[in-house]
Amino acid sequence: MKSVKEVKRKEYYIFSPFLRIFHWIMASQIVILFITGLLITKPMNVSTTEPFFTITSMDLVRDIHFTAAFILCASLILRVYGFIVNKGDRLFPRVWEGHFYEETVDVALHYMLLKPHHASFLRNPLARMSYAALYGLLAIEILTGFAMYFMTNPSGTGGLLFGWVNTILGSEMMSHYVHHYVAWFIILFAIGHMYMVIRAEFMEGESEVSSMFSGKKILAHTPKDANELD
Amino acid sequence: MEKRESLWEAYLRRGLSRRSFLKGCVALTSLMGLSTDMFSKVVEAAETKPLPVVVWIHGHECTGCDESFIRSASPLASDLVLTNIALEYDHLLSAACGAPFEAHLDETITKYYGNYILCVEGAVATKESGVHCMSGGHTFLHTLEKAAKGAAAIIAYGSCSAYGGIQAAAPNPTGSTGIEHFVGGKPVVKVPGCPPIPEVMTGVVMHVALFGTIPPLDGDGRPKQFFGNRIHDTCYRRPFFDAGMFAETYDDAGSKAGWCLYKLGCRGPETYNSCGNLRWWQGMSYPIQSGAACIGCSNSNFWDEAPFSARLPQYGKIGDADKIGVALGVMTAAGVGAHAVASIIQRNSRDNLLEEEHDDK
Repeated sequence: MKSVKEVKRKEYYIFSPFLRIFHWIMASQIVILFITGLLITKPMNVSTTEPFFTITSMDLVRDIHFTAAFILCASLILRVYGFIVNKGDRLFPRVWEGHFYEETVDVALHYMLLKPHHASFLRNPLARMSYAALYGLLAIEILTGFAMYFMTNPSGTGGLLFGWVNTILGSEMMSHYVHHYVAWFIILFAIGHMYMVIRAEFMEGESEVSSMFSGKKILAHTPKDANELD
Repeated sequence: MEKRESLWEAYLRRGLSRRSFLKGCVALTSLMGLSTDMFSKVVEAAETKPLPVVVWIHGHECTGCDESFIRSASPLASDLVLTNIALEYDHLLSAACGAPFEAHLDETITKYYGNYILCVEGAVATKESGVHCMSGGHTFLHTLEKAAKGAAAIIAYGSCSAYGGIQAAAPNPTGSTGIEHFVGGKPVVKVPGCPPIPEVMTGVVMHVALFGTIPPLDGDGRPKQFFGNRIHDTCYRRPFFDAGMFAETYDDAGSKAGWCLYKLGCRGPETYNSCGNLRWWQGMSYPIQSGAACIGCSNSNFWDEAPFSARLPQYGKIGDADKIGVALGVMTAAGVGAHAVASIIQRNSRDNLLEEEHDDK
């Protein structure tokens, strides 16, 4: 193996700073939300004899959870802005295009280890579908979360905007239930996501990890969807 | 229709003083959950409005709501029934019985058509044409539809008439359900609870009686002044929740010290009722104060939300949510690991194949 090789590579600019900042805010807030969420569901018992402020106080844990939730929701503005100004940020699965389905099958067969390789993509169709699913899960968390949060005052604006979620799910207890299980599904997504990203970086020569820091992919091969950026 | 007397006239007839009438009005104002500046309107209504005719019918239920109602202290249920309203028909409280009593229901409906308040306790049994709940030779569904037609206002007392109640618990063999869809589209004031708080029951009927309008309702049809807050948000044990002090079992030190019952399955955080502020028996106590976790008896589906002794993560039919989550996480991680190994093997065999082809050339 030579340590220095001369390889011709092309640079593709995909992710705007807005998407990248959003991505890392989301990732960090999900970690905070998940940990505090587990603590709210099953609180630690403070072994004191009088109620006073401690670092594990339920009040504080809940406040951190709510603050993280609001930060996550606010950061969605960055995501939307990036979507508007930068073509590379538009990651919705292109289900309206015929070739999307063939490409999905192609990639899926490779991931099932039935085919030795798949065509290279800047943003591959299966990954796009998993992101759409993640946004779906996030939407459920936001809806059920606010439905529980705002019902301290059911006739307030927040209660009117989100109270219907409890009605649709049958009861507020169900909102807690759905909120909790979907949180776990987001963690499952995160495990799969991290694996797929690292796998693509190391096994398929895609600059998948670095692109979420630099916004660029520097590739030796020509990805199939390169023309979508024009 | 003959002239019916107002509350003030009823006081006069009994020789009661103006002072006690005004005191009664003050009590009424506060128990209806109104602010004190509404006092003059209450007095005006009590002086002029004729006493409302009330028809009170019972369906598929245990009549526990009546047990609660007759223990109302302010106003006394006896005062309400004998002085404040004209209770023309009540399955449970009436002295009369038999055919004349049933005939009286028809008479009342015809005589006060469009003017009486209909109070309903109990669910409607819908299966087998409603034969699971009969009284006076008719199904309850029949009685309800007949009485609802001429009602000026309909009040559903108890979780049974509001949502179906205990008999609607899965598998719900009698097809029991709330009265909402059997009253010809009329708005129903829901006063859920198993049973509702006595003062809430009297407060709602007095609001309708005095103002002739139904009280302000939330999206589910419950009076806002009594069901506008979670028990959790009005609970006197809330500071223990915020501080993280929880009873872990019913016999530990935390339980004895009166700490938060959240970990014992308390449904306070999902339950809308006045237990936290009005409490029961003239403000004496309520379930949480007596050391029992709230079971959410005024919730629309509480009977199927067992076990009452557990919240998440233990709550739910498929087991401990966090254990399931951890198991799924471990399985995903294991799957990912196995996939990684298989991918490396696949890549190596692919590369070997390519090398062999290269060598052949």
